[in-house]
Parts: sequence; C-alpha cells; structure tokens
Amino acid sequence: MSYVELAVTTNYSFLRGASHPGQFVQQAAFLGHAAIGIADHNSLAGVVRAYDAWQSLPEEGRPKLLVGARLVFRDGTPDILAYPKDRAAYGRLCRILSEGKNRAPKGECFLGLGDLLDHRAGLLLIVMPSAHLPLPGREPKPAGILRALGPDTWLGASMLYTGEDRRRLRDLERQARAAGVPLIAVNDVLYHHPDQRELQDIVTCIREHVTLQGAGRRLQANAERHLKPPQEMARLFARHPHAITETLRLAGMIDFRLDELRHNYPHEPVPPGKTADEHLRHLVESGLAWRYPQAIPPKVAAIARTELDFIADREIAHYFLTVHDIVAWARGQGILCQGRGSAANSVVCYALRITEVNPATFEVMFDRFLNTNRREPPDIDVDFEHERREEVIQYIYRRYGRRRAALTATVICYRGRSAIREVGKVFGLTDDITGRLAGTVWGSHGGQMEEHQVRQGNADPGNAAIARAIHFANELMGFPRHLSQHVGGFVLTEDFLDTVVPIGPAAMDDRWFIEWDKDDLDTLAIMKVDVLALGMLTCIRKAFDLIHAHAPCGRDPKWTLAAIPQEDPSVYDMLCAADAIGVFQVESRAQMNMLPRLKPRTFYDLAVEVAIVRPGPIQGGMVHPYLKRRADPSLIRFPAPDPRFGPPDELYEVLKRTKGVPLFQEQAMRMAIVAAGFTAAQANGLRKAMATFRHSGTMPTFREKFIGGMMRRGYDAEFAQACFNQIEGFGEYGFPESHAISFALLVYVSAWIKKHHPAAFCAALLNSQPMGFYAPAEIVRCAREHGVAVLAPDAAFSQWDNSLERTAAGALAVRLGFRQIDGFREQDAHTIMEERGYGYRGFADFARRTALPRRALVLLAEADGFRGFGLDRREGLWAVRRLPDDSPLPLFAPRATPEQGAETIAPLPAMTLSDHVLADYQTTRLSLKGYPTQFLRAALDQEGITACAGVAALRDGAKVRCAGIVLVRQRPGEGTAIFITLSDETGVCNVVVWQDTFRKFRREVMGSRLLLAEGRVQKSPEGVVHLMAEKLTDRSADLKALMDYGQAPAPRAGHPRNARVLPPSRDFH
Amino acid sequence: MLQQRRIMALWLPRLPTDRLIRKSGAPEAPLVVSGRANNALIIHALEARAEKLGLYRGQPLANAHAMVQPLNVVPADEKADAALLENIADWCDRFTPLVSLDAPDGLYLDITGAAHLFGGDQAMLKDVLAKLSAQGFAVRGAIAGTSWAARALARHQTNALARGGSGFIVPPGGEAEAVASLPITAFDCDAKILRALSHAGLKTVGQVAARQSSELAERLGIQFVRRLLVMLGQAEEPLAPRRPLPDLMAEQRFADPVTSREAIASTLLALAQSLGGLLERQGQGARMLGAAFFRADGKVDRIAVRAGAPVRDPTIMLRLLNQKLDALADPLDPGFGFDLVRLEALLAETTSPATVSFDANENARRQVRFLIDRLSARFGEHRVLRFVPQDTHIPEAAAVAVPAQDSDFDATWPRHQRPDDPPRRPCRLLEKPEEIHHVMADTPDAPPVRFRWRQCLHHVARAEGPERIVLEWWSKDGPTRDYFRVETREGQRFWLYRDGLYRRNGLGPRWYLQGIFA
Repeated sequence: MSYVELAVTTNYSFLRGASHPGQFVQQAAFLGHAAIGIADHNSLAGVVRAYDAWQSLPEEGRPKLLVGARLVFRDGTPDILAYPKDRAAYGRLCRILSEGKNRAPKGECFLGLGDLLDHRAGLLLIVMPSAHLPLPGREPKPAGILRALGPDTWLGASMLYTGEDRRRLRDLERQARAAGVPLIAVNDVLYHHPDQRELQDIVTCIREHVTLQGAGRRLQANAERHLKPPQEMARLFARHPHAITETLRLAGMIDFRLDELRHNYPHEPVPPGKTADEHLRHLVESGLAWRYPQAIPPKVAAIARTELDFIADREIAHYFLTVHDIVAWARGQGILCQGRGSAANSVVCYALRITEVNPATFEVMFDRFLNTNRREPPDIDVDFEHERREEVIQYIYRRYGRRRAALTATVICYRGRSAIREVGKVFGLTDDITGRLAGTVWGSHGGQMEEHQVRQGNADPGNAAIARAIHFANELMGFPRHLSQHVGGFVLTEDFLDTVVPIGPAAMDDRWFIEWDKDDLDTLAIMKVDVLALGMLTCIRKAFDLIHAHAPCGRDPKWTLAAIPQEDPSVYDMLCAADAIGVFQVESRAQMNMLPRLKPRTFYDLAVEVAIVRPGPIQGGMVHPYLKRRADPSLIRFPAPDPRFGPPDELYEVLKRTKGVPLFQEQAMRMAIVAAGFTAAQANGLRKAMATFRHSGTMPTFREKFIGGMMRRGYDAEFAQACFNQIEGFGEYGFPESHAISFALLVYVSAWIKKHHPAAFCAALLNSQPMGFYAPAEIVRCAREHGVAVLAPDAAFSQWDNSLERTAAGALAVRLGFRQIDGFREQDAHTIMEERGYGYRGFADFARRTALPRRALVLLAEADGFRGFGLDRREGLWAVRRLPDDSPLPLFAPRATPEQGAETIAPLPAMTLSDHVLADYQTTRLSLKGYPTQFLRAALDQEGITACAGVAALRDGAKVRCAGIVLVRQRPGEGTAIFITLSDETGVCNVVVWQDTFRKFRREVMGSRLLLAEGRVQKSPEGVVHLMAEKLTDRSADLKALMDYGQAPAPRAGHPRNARVLPPSRDFH
Repeated sequence: MLQQRRIMALWLPRLPTDRLIRKSGAPEAPLVVSGRANNALIIHALEARAEKLGLYRGQPLANAHAMVQPLNVVPADEKADAALLENIADWCDRFTPLVSLDAPDGLYLDITGAAHLFGGDQAMLKDVLAKLSAQGFAVRGAIAGTSWAARALARHQTNALARGGSGFIVPPGGEAEAVASLPITAFDCDAKILRALSHAGLKTVGQVAARQSSELAERLGIQFVRRLLVMLGQAEEPLAPRRPLPDLMAEQRFADPVTSREAIASTLLALAQSLGGLLERQGQGARMLGAAFFRADGKVDRIAVRAGAPVRDPTIMLRLLNQKLDALADPLDPGFGFDLVRLEALLAETTSPATVSFDANENARRQVRFLIDRLSARFGEHRVLRFVPQDTHIPEAAAVAVPAQDSDFDATWPRHQRPDDPPRRPCRLLEKPEEIHHVMADTPDAPPVRFRWRQCLHHVARAEGPERIVLEWWSKDGPTRDYFRVETREGQRFWLYRDGLYRRNGLGPRWYLQGIFA
C-alpha cells in the first residue's frame, strides 16, 4: 500500500506552511510514502532545501522527490498544482512564475489562468477545489477549467473532516467524471507532523495581523493538515481507491530531477579562430609578461601551466573570462577592486589582474581549488568600492541582459528579535513588553532566548503568555520570512535564466533576483560571481586621490594597490603598537589586543592576524600554541600518526605555514582527509555541515568520524578533540586562508596610508562612512593624536567632502566637510561651493548669493559653521532666523532676495564651552572644542572615579572605577567576553565584561551612553591594559543633565558606530 | 490707556487623576494615566504620590513600570476630562458669569468688578482655590490684568504654592515685573519658538522682553510679540466665551403643584412635543430620554429610558416613558405635588429627517425595533436579548446574547452551505452538552449506530460527519471533538459529538449530545 502527497505547502510559502521542506521529505520517508511533492505558493524557493534533505537520506527506501508549485491565481481560478514532467516543462513552469513576478511588486506573483494555458505543455496539473462545497454562483465551475486544461489534468480531493467530506467527495467524483479527468487524493498539508499545528496557527496570525484571541475562523478548525500514513489515506478514501492509485500514477509520470539543471555558463566572446581555453591562455601569458617585465619566474610559469590545464579539464575557462571582463571594465572606470576566494589566489587570477597578491612572494593556495574531486564551481568573490558597485552591477545587466543575469537571493529568516516581536503580538502582548524582550537579544544573531534575558527585560518569565510567546518565538526562529536580494552574488547563464529558476524584481529599481540563495546554488553546483561592496576599497581609492591631488610636484605618484612599497618596517612597527584605528580588519578591540602579542613583521603574519581572532581558532584553543611557537620556534613540531598508518610528516605540508597549528578553514579540511581518513566527498559534507550545523544536526556523526578517525591513526586524542572544536567554531564564520591573504593586502595598504599620509587617511575614512568600527569622533581624535590639524566645517571654506588644506606651516590639515553635518544635503553643499568663487563677503552676502533653503542655513548655523563670517553658533542661528521664509516659487523669485536693513542688536548671552561641545556632538557627532566628559570631571573626581588615561597607570590587580562614553561594544564570535571601549577627554579604556557579569548588567551594557565600570586592572606583559568589570552603572543621565534642552530618547539598537553620544537636535524650519 | 481688567487663571494640573480618585477613591498603588505619543505609551497625568516617586509627565510607561512596582495605570479618557472641566466651569459661574475654558486643564475667570463681592482679589482667589481643593482637585491660580500674565503665573510661578497655596496676585500694572523671572516655557508657544529662544540663550521672560520687538518680530513672528505684550500687561486679549450647550430639554413649572395622573400625563405629552420640536430643528433624535419630577418638598424622581434607534416622535417618546412609569416597582408618588417636570434628551444622535419608507421590509424592521424598545422599556434592557455571531470554531461560543437594543453589534452570520443543504448547526443548542451512554460506533471515526439519551434509546437511521473541531489550545485544552448530525429512526435529529479520539488502548472516549435540529 502506498501513497504520494502532492499538495504540500512548506514554510517557503511564507507564513502559510509550518514545516521546513526537509522535514516533509524526512517525514515522507519515515511514513513510507512512495514520493513527496513540494508545491509552494507561486514559488520554487523551497525545492532545493527539500532536494538537499533528500540527498542526505539513505538511498534505500528514499521517496522520489517531485518538484512543483502551487499556482495561485488572481482571476478567481481555483489553485492548481503544477508538476513538470521533464526539464523542458520545468523551464516553462519557471517562465510562468517569472512572468507573474515581473508584473507584481516585489515578493508577489500575479497570475491568471491564461499564463498557465500559454505554457501548459508537459505540466501535470491538479485543480484544487475549495475545501467546502461550493456555494452557487460564488466560484467558477471547475468543469470548464478542467476541460480547458486538457489531458494530464486531475481534480484534487481531500478529506479534511469538514463534516460533509463524503458528500463533497461524491460531488467531486461526479464533476470529474463529467469532465473526463481522474480524481486524485490530496491532504493539502501545511505541516509535516500534527504537533506543528500550534505553530501553524501562529504563523497564520502573523500573516493576518491578528492575535490568537481575535483570529477566529481564520485558523484551521482542526489539526488534520499533516502528512498521513498511506494506510490512513487509504482508509479515508476507501470508497474512492482510484484516487489513491492516481497519486502513484502521477508520480510515475514525472521524470524530472533537480540535478538535471546542469549549469550552462555564458560563452564569453573570444577572438575568431580561438577556443576559450586558448584565449585565456593568451591573456594569462600577456598578463604575466606585464607583471614580470624582466622575466617570468620559472616557478610561476609552471604553476600557471598547471592551473590552465586544470581549468581546461574542468571546462571553466569562461568563468575566468567573465571575471576578467568585469574587473577590466571596472579598472577602466577607475573603480578599485580586488578578488578573493579559493580560485582567486592563483597565478591565473594574478595574471588577469583579478587579484594583486603576488604569488611569487609566498606559497599559492591553489590546492583547495585544484582538488579535482570537488566537482564544485570555482569561487571568486570580487570586492568593489562600495560607493560605485552599483555601476558594476548595471554593467553586468547591460552586458548579459536581464534574462541571463540575476542576483542570488538571501533568505531572510526569523531571528531572535523579529521572532519575539511577531509572536508577542500574536499572544496579545503590548509593544511595550515585546520591545523590552526584543531589546535584550544581542545583535541580529540572537540565539535562543533564555529566562535570564526575560528577567533582564523586566518581564516575568512565569507569566503564562510571556512564557508561551518565548517558547514559540524560539520555534519560529530559522523560519524563512521573505526573500531578499543577496548583496552581490550574480548568476549568469547562456540559456535563459528564467527557465532555470524563477526571477523576480527586487525592491531596488533595475535589480532582479532569483528564488534561490547561495547554499541552494552550491547544492546544485551552479556557478556564481560575487560582486561585493567593500568600504575600505572606497577609502583607499579616495586616499590615493587625495594624496595625488595634494602632492608637491612629482613627489607622490598616483598609487595603486600593487605599487605600494612592500614590507615597510615602519608600517609593521605601527601595527605592533596596536595603533590601528581605521586600519582594515585589525581595528577591532580584539584585534588590537592581538597585535602586540602576535607582533606581525611580514605580509603573511597579517593574513594570520586577520584569521586568528575568529571563533574557530579561539574555540579550538589554537591561539596560545601559535603565539608560543612564534615566540620560541623550538616549540614547533608537527603532530604525527602512528608509524603503522602513515609517514610522520604527513601533516607537514598542511600546517607548515602556520607553525604546526591549524588556523585556517582549508587546513581543517585537509586534516580531515589526510589525518582522519575522510574521502574528499566526506570532507565536503563536513564543510557543508559546518556552515549549517545549527540547523541540520548532522555534526555529531562527523564528530565521531573525525575524532575517531584521527585517534585510530594514532593521533593524540586531545589534539583531535581540539581540531574538531575548531571546526565547530568555524561554523558560519569559517575563514579560509585565501580570503585572509586577500584581506591582508588591504590591511597592509590601509596601514601604509595611515602611517605615511595620516591626514589623507583621516579624510578618506570620513568620506567613506559608514564603515569600520569607529565613529567619526574617534577617527578625528586619532588623527589629531598623530599630529594632524583638523579644522571645523565652515561655510566659508568647507566642501561637501572632507578635504585637505595646507596650513601656514606647510603641513596638510583636514578640513571637515559639510557631509559631517547630520542631515545636510549634498546639493546644498554644491551650491555653496559653486557660488563661492573668490569667497563670500560675510553672512548676508552668503545668504543672498547661495539662496539656500532655510533648513540648510539652520543646519549650518547649528553646526557652528559661520565662524568664517565672524558669527558663532548662537549669533548665526539668530541671524538665520531673521531671513525671510523660503519663497514658495524660487524659480520665479528675483535672484537677489530683498536687502534687509542693517540691524544693530544687543549681544546675545554668551554660550558656554560645554554648550558648544554638546551642540557640536548633536550636529556633527564630534567636537574639536572639547569632550563632553570634561565638564563632568570635577564631579567624577569627587566620586573617586579615575579618568581613562589614569587606568593604565595603575598596577596590575588594582581596584578601579572608571567612567566614559561607550564607543564600541563588541562580542567577538561566540566569545564569552564582551569588550567595551570607554572614552573620555583623556583617552580610552578597554573594559572586559565576562558572560556572568554581562548577564547581570545586560541592560547597562546594551543601553548606556555614559557607563561607569568598576573592577580590577589587568595588565599583560605586552602592556595591554584591561579593566575587568565586576559592576556596571548607567550614568547617561549625567550627560543629559549637561544639556540645556532636549530629552534623550532611548538609544536604538544598531551598530555602535552609528549610536549617538547625544541625541540629535531637532531644529529645522 | 486701557481699562484695567482683572483676570483669574486657574490650573488643574492633575485633572485626570483627580477625576479618577474622586470617582472611586485613591487606589493602593500610585495612580498614573497613560496616553500615547509616537506609538509608545507615556504618562499623560499622574497623582502627587507618583510624582514623589520620581515619575514625570511624558515618561515612557515602560520606564515608569521599571521604576515603580506596583503601579496603577488607567488609560486616558480625554472626553471625560473635558466634560469635567466643563462642569467645573459651570460651577465657577457662581463667581462670575464670564468663565472661559483654557483646555485641557485650565480656566479663566474674568472677575473685573466682581472681586469686591468676595472681599477683594486676595480673598476671592483664596476662596476659589479652597473650594476647589475641598472637592479634591489640585489647583493653582493667579490674578493679573491680562489672561496670559495670570496664566503664566498660575502655571509657572513655582513660589506661589510654596507660599501657602494662596495663589499669586499681581497689582495693576505690575505684570512685567511679575513675569520677568518666569522661564520661557511660560510662553507655552510652539516648540520651534521655544527652541529658537533657548538657542539664542534667552532663558527667562525678562530676557526676552529686553530684546527689541522688531528683532523678535522678524525672527519669531508678530503673533509671538503680541503674546509677549499681553503677558507684560501691555496689550489685551479678549477671552473666548464658552460655547452654549445645545439646549435639548423642555420643562414646565407649576405655580400650583400638580398631583393628578391626568395632569402629569398631559404635561409629559406637551413636553414631549416641545422636545420633539427641538430635536427636529437640530436634526437629531434621542437615544436616551430622561424625565425628572421635582416635588414641592424637594424630592426628585428620575426615570430614564433607552431607544434602539434615535426617536423624536412625541407619541413614541411618550409611549416609552409610560411603559417605564407603568413598570416602576415603586410607583410615582406626587406627594404634595410636583412643581417642576423636566424632559431631556440625555443622549442625542444626528439623524436624517424622518422619511416615509415604502419598503415593506424596512417598515417591518421598524416595527420590530419599536417592539424591542417597548419590551425593553417594560422588562429592562437586559431581559430582551438577541444573538450575535462570534468569529470562532467552538460551537458553544459561536453566538452570544446581547441586549436587543444594543446596535453596536452588527455582524453577518456565516454561510457555508447551499440553500438546499441540511443546516450545519442545530437551531437549538443545549445549555450544556449532555453525556449520552451505551453508544455503539465503529472506530476510528464512524457515527454512532445507537445511543441512550435521557433514559431513551435512540437508533440512528442516517448520519453525516465527522466535523472535527479542536479546542483553542491557547485558552483551554481539551479533547478533539468529532461532530455528527444524526437522524433517528423516529425522525428526531440531533447534534452529537465524540469527545476525544480513539486510542489504541484504554477506554473509548465519551459521547455528548449538544444540540437539536428542528
């Protein structure tokens, strides 16, 4: 006895289905179904997940996986399940959905019956009548539709315990017979197991924006919409047994499998008479000749040959040609870019100028890429300047057309905050309470919500509604919520892409994305090019431009990434001193602690530095062994197997670059193969499990296999255990060596600029915001500490961007630009710059000539930007207010506003320094006049609170109390500690909060602007000073008291870089 | 020279909480009234106890909860507050006829030429404040030559309370001096202007007054300068008189008190006619009528009746009143006679002028409505009920009975069946499902073949089902029910359910009979 469920709605029919696609597949296998169909509402988004789960089932007794969609129409046609028989029909189904999406707003799909009839060939169709007996005149008669659809059509019948199932079934049987189509049994399932029914009610409420209490009949009356055993289905359809056998017949007619979607990569144009491989070989040869003008090192030439052979063997030359074309185009436009990824650190990519990392200077990591067993597409990510990436994307659309190119999707899932917000609403909790619960979840990666977090949010975990809300919020986490476009993963095809996967428009104009995310593409081995945005590239390009523009004749050339002098010791000196604010990747608190300990002296050290402060090496306990071996090379030794099983140096090749300690993701993979006896395919499975182990739960099997494998071959148990811990730590944040090397170049280049051109570096960083860890105030402060003069934004001198000015002494100073003023519009800045000419003759002249809207003038005055005209902030505002209101039709207004009579007024009361500093913070988030805490210093001194700079002077272990403005809060990876950087007018203080303390003071840590930390001083031999916090107090009220007006609104969660020390002033019009 | 007026400004800073405490006494926990601002709950008003604990107006409620536990929170009722302020204004009529509202929480009394009746400014202010305090209101007041000067001082002169709560009196011409030290918030003007002043470093009224008026006018507008001048006593602003209440009552006084039923009845008819006329002129109809009978000895009898739809037809109004009078347990006792009878529309609604409908249905509906009104007037509105549908799968909760006159419930009954189908729900539902015994039915989900209910054995001839309904898991947990519609051999039709599903082992589930089909 067997059965096939064909009407399956998974949770990829957002907020309708209540189980993951994989759960349906596993349950179908468990119940002994012959096959399982996945048919989401106008979507194929979940089918690859189902396929992935299906692949990991044992082949014996595995149900056949049928891929389809449930077409939901807007013209009153009942839903129709569509299952393609073969590849061509599958393409037509994709086409139908793409067309429907294209005429709908993002996330929707508008279909009519005509769309289906146009592409009907090869589709097996099941018409789904409504669950109740139809009311006369309410819906179209299925008979007409059944006839229109022709052969290969079924009428779906369900037994859903509505009270009149039998009568309804008889009625359907009559209709089916009249139309000459067979009846087919479905259970129209929404979840794989009856236990999921409560969650289904909850997602229904979320979808309908109602509470459980108010949902009424929008919920299902019973819990019958789950996968049922074949026997049960047979019993329900005992009077219509053919309806059951039809399910098997339909499944038997399908002969399409997802793995048929073999990728057909677009054929790049090549010169006539050449193959793609020949063309690539030619490009590489000329590229190498350009790279090595004297002579190509034989080693490099040999590697290039191996790589090219490999590329030819794998038939992926077109892929490299594509990336080469994009990069070459970007370079032509002056857009800075750099490739990374497994294939990027190759001689081929260096020759094609996809990457700037010179393979001759150190070992090339082509091995991962060269592993022929991995029949996976090569992986090259290309980073572009974040401000100009859109140009690249539009170029790709232009070049390939939007039926051949589209972005990958990102599946947005419910996370801690969103889950508790939505579920809280469903249980009727007020915004107030759910807001507080959500507020205690850390960042966007909040894991399961625990009781102590609930208490922290001032809510009672014993309250039944709250407890339930939390329970279901935890259940809902990981459910897909909607599809969004991936940041830059492009899928390109030679055939029409919309016959491979449905494509729809994105929220942004002129963007289209497919329904699958990068994991799905990986599963199906479809190639993609990642066109990513990197703020640091923007910053570096802007710095290069500034250096060039302000160079005394002939001194500074126009720099490029490759041209920067290599291995400059002064750059490494600076990094060893942890002077790294603004430097790419190593400016975080944890990285700055590592720098003086690791003491990087070579380029490869930077790659290690980038990779070592990550969850993987930390969880694997690899950090200390590595540091020890750096300090004392005599400690370096390589773990070896029992001589019976392998040569003692089998790991030497894998670990030699990292002194015998595994640090990178590739090394963990290689060890699985070399030391634990994995096959390449198994290692690949491990890599995938690593990325998703939270969800899939397959990690324990790998654990046993890995540790057991190593121990059986005579490795030390402790070492095996540590290696596996590390693999677990990589989790979603696995960091491969190939990425680290590419990043290391940017670390070096940004550090070089910071060292040799601090003013240009500061201005370029500010002009590339938002990026990095630090707020503009810290960047400016750092520049000033390095002796760079920084000048305030001023209507008389500033430009939109931050710029450089020569001071009288001949040094370069940074002039802050109008972009630093919150809310100031670029267009107004350009007006000021254009009208400036040889300068303005005072405020009145400025106001008349620029004719700026009042809003702009107020912003300038509030930012104290009229000093150049001799007006301070207060006088400036008073003067701006005197100007007449914006004229309604500026186009017709006379060019010059009528002159107002000169005015002689009494001086306004003088503004105190503290008022000025606070106002500076409100408008530009930084002040060159002082620091807010200096006005509290006397009071803090009286309380015995030490200034930040004073903490370093204390002895190790001393008790200390220190207060400062919270600059950065950080919890690296899965770390058990939270780093907080406090700052005051004297400097910064690094506070460490252990997990236990954090639990107690979560609210203070998350919410304070001014924080008082009490604890003990800890000093490391390298001179790194920490305050180990035992108690934390929110002193933000002190800051508020300094302010003359305005209330501090509750701080919003977000990147601390964007958090404000003080609330913005709201004073427009 | 302006003729010097005298204006008293009153401020009731805790009107919302005072209203609640006057009504139902002070709760144990500190009382705050919540309002909404920017989609967040905030404190809209609070009593003195709460303020002493550090709470303040405008504070986010979540914040307040965190600071004070327990806290008694009542949502704001601005209508009730406004009505109360009106009442206080009415009450103030005893001091001067010229009372004007300073909504939402203040009053102006124009006491020009009236103060001497109460012993001068000082004594009068003291008297007003004492009387209002005695009634349970927190109140502050001031007297000055202009409304804004008095208002600013009542609200912002913090010393006034410190000096024994007697309020603040400005001698004629002393306004500018009196307000000079007040903060600029005393202007109580647009937030933009306040920010402009504060950004200019001007913190007090006096500092503002010291600037040139052309300087201020150019920057802050002429309106602001006017307000400043009024506050300084250099200009006058007329008080807006209170809008008269719509007069929807009719009364008749008798020189000789009346006692006879007939006289009372004819009086009521006359009053109903004049009230009907009033209502018609205003395009309104009464949803609630009140009649008050003032006995010569001071006792007052009152009755009130409600109508399902607005009425203004005198005969209908009279009929409703008579129904009520007839039904009084304690009949109207004229004693020595009534010297005043008043009829008022306690609740009036706008209605279109009466049109004669030729639609038979509409007329029938009107007849039914009128019958409901009459029955409700006679038996009480909570005795005449009708069913309204509820949105739920649970049969016993699918309909609730509400007073038939209540027109707020208007929902359409769901229809899930074709006209010639048998009904899905019985027309009669038992108060409580009754257990049936000796049920014979096939597993797992077949209808019963026979069962015993109220001593009688029934044999099922026809059945349909099951309709499976699970209880609402979030409110109460209970077994799944399988409902069957059955017809017995005798032709009786019942609605039964099996409570729970068959399990592999253990006893079978129980069966219940919940309803009877016609």
